[in-house]
Amino acid sequence: MRIRRIYASNIFLKSIFVISIFTIFFISVVTYKHISLVNNSFRWVNHSYEINLELERLVSHLKDAETGQRGFLLTQDSAYLAPYLNSKIKIATSFAKVKAFTKNNPLQQQNIRALKFYINKRQNYLSLVLHLSREKSLIDENLKAKLDIGRVTMDSIRTQIDDMIQLEKKALKQRELYYNDTMKVTPVFIYVTLLITLVLISISYLRINKDLEKFKNANNRLAVLNECNNLAENVGSFGSWQLDLETNEFIFSDNCYRLLGFPPQAFLASQDNFIKYVHPEDVQTFRKITSKMVKSGKLNPFTYRIMRKDKKIRYFRTTGRIVTSKAGDKILIGTNSDVTDEVLASLSLAQQNTELEATNKELLAFNYVASHDLQEPLRKIQTFVSRLSDKEYENLSDSGKEFMGRINSSVERMRILIDDLLQYSRTTKTEKIFEDCDLNQLLDNVKIDMAQLIEEKKAKIQYQSLPQLKVISFQIQQLFSNLINNSLKYSKLEIAPEIKILCQKVIATDEERLPKNSKEKFYKITFIDNGIGFEQEYAEKIFVLFNRLHNKNDYEGTGIGLAICKKIVENHRGFIFGEATPNVGAIFTIYLPEEYNE
Amino acid sequence: MDKDYIHIILADDDEDDRLLFTDAFDELKINTKVNTFNDGVELMDYLNSPDAILPNVLFLDLNMPKKNGIECLYEIKSNDRFSDIAIAIFSTSSSEEHIEETFVQGANIYIKKPSDFTTLKKVLGDVVTINWQYHTSGLNKDNFLLRL
Repeated sequence: MRIRRIYASNIFLKSIFVISIFTIFFISVVTYKHISLVNNSFRWVNHSYEINLELERLVSHLKDAETGQRGFLLTQDSAYLAPYLNSKIKIATSFAKVKAFTKNNPLQQQNIRALKFYINKRQNYLSLVLHLSREKSLIDENLKAKLDIGRVTMDSIRTQIDDMIQLEKKALKQRELYYNDTMKVTPVFIYVTLLITLVLISISYLRINKDLEKFKNANNRLAVLNECNNLAENVGSFGSWQLDLETNEFIFSDNCYRLLGFPPQAFLASQDNFIKYVHPEDVQTFRKITSKMVKSGKLNPFTYRIMRKDKKIRYFRTTGRIVTSKAGDKILIGTNSDVTDEVLASLSLAQQNTELEATNKELLAFNYVASHDLQEPLRKIQTFVSRLSDKEYENLSDSGKEFMGRINSSVERMRILIDDLLQYSRTTKTEKIFEDCDLNQLLDNVKIDMAQLIEEKKAKIQYQSLPQLKVISFQIQQLFSNLINNSLKYSKLEIAPEIKILCQKVIATDEERLPKNSKEKFYKITFIDNGIGFEQEYAEKIFVLFNRLHNKNDYEGTGIGLAICKKIVENHRGFIFGEATPNVGAIFTIYLPEEYNE
Repeated sequence: MDKDYIHIILADDDEDDRLLFTDAFDELKINTKVNTFNDGVELMDYLNSPDAILPNVLFLDLNMPKKNGIECLYEIKSNDRFSDIAIAIFSTSSSEEHIEETFVQGANIYIKKPSDFTTLKKVLGDVVTINWQYHTSGLNKDNFLLRL
């Protein structure tokens, strides 16, 4: 956004510059025109004054001639004739000048022709009077008449010249008027344009200043970010690099060099220079993977070994992708991180895991094989004991018979123990195949299997309808069987056992014994009996393998049944809890998730 | 049936088990002829010999050296000549895998070796007098394992 604004302002500045150039050019043209106009006017004024001056001179020369003539007439001294004679040439010169000055003005030409006529007439009469004065006296009538005509002609000349001067003055006035008009408008125009230009330039100056400020701020921020990045690279042991796809040039960050054991920028940043430090066994893979990065536009994370300058071997992970800058340049950016600790940790973890898995498997196998293979000799002992008591019972002494009974019960107990152990090991060992199953059906199966025991104990089993669930069916059946079996086993001697099985759907957050973080839904199945119960302090201990609360002479049991139950419920990602009041009864609560998630 | 006795064969590597097995049939009041073999190889050699008298019921232990019960079962079921033999698996183990595998391979019944002699006699007596035709036609995994 900020960058786009700066670009917009760049265009703005350019247009202001162009406008200013045009304005200045315009002003210079206008000024030039104006100056030439002034120049012209000045010449016209000059011209008019020259004409007028020459006309005055003409009059003065004519007066000189007249004065000379009068002097001669009075004195008859030919010295007075000199101005008269001189004036003749001067008049001609002046006249020629006036004529030349006014040759472009037709009105003045007309006046000139009239003036010429009067001047010629005047000169003729002057010379005529001089000529007559030599023969006649000054009081001669003829001479006097001629003098009168000369005086009248002189007046005409004066009038004519006055007219011409007036005409010239008038023309001058007109020109002055026009000149003044132009002179009045032009400066205002120039000032206005100049002012606008000044405003524009000021605005652009302000704008440039603002942009500069912005750039400075952006630069500062960039510097801070850069410093942050450097710090992050140092702390996080990674380095970043860039590849300009236009120029094919690399830039490595300082930390890139440090990770290889070099001071910053110690060698030219290039792929070949970097590969020198890739572990020789990994070079081929490294080349193969990086050769595709430009074409595919990305570099998926991959791990390889580095041999640093100090010959230490480290694990690096490199990743990258192409970014396109605002200006449209494509750059491949990426990071190299030193993941040695991580890799070593995960390697050792993997190894420990494998070892643990192997140990676990061995243990399970041992458990299974032990219990399985123990069955065989035990079964034979039982069979032969049974044959012995069938066939030879009568031949035994009383104590022999008693020993036989003790052997029988011990062997029977061992068989149950081995069966339970086998069961337990199967619960952990077998494949977990989940299938849709009606839990009511499983409970029915249990009741059928235990029908004889239920009959013997006169037990009552009530249960609510159970759901259909995805479970490992034989395990859930085992679970139900063990729980019911427990209730029957630990029943009170004098009271017939009653087992109530309740079922409801609950949300994990509503149940205080379930982890609060899960929003999962569970089926809560509760087994309630009226048996001997147990002390609440043993509520957790009862689920531990081989843990028994009662003397085996009072209640038979191996301490495996509830451990199997816990294992089964855990296989289903569920929970089992026991609570009890001694001599009132026990309550076992199972939570099975509505949906089993791997 | 043209013979008046039931021909029974047991393949088991355990001497005690073979002894108990023959003792049980001796005490049972059924007219039977019992042959025993020490392992799978011996059993198959006998069955494959041209003059062998094929049994009505064959009891197979699973865990035997050289050739185990599963291998024998596989060989017998892939040979048409033996198609009339009823096969009872007779094993100490009652693991799901073994039951599943032998059922799929075509055994007729699965017996877990009982741990007292009276039960043994009862089981063996029941098995040899089963109407196999009837049992096999209604065979499913639930009645495959002989429950006592």
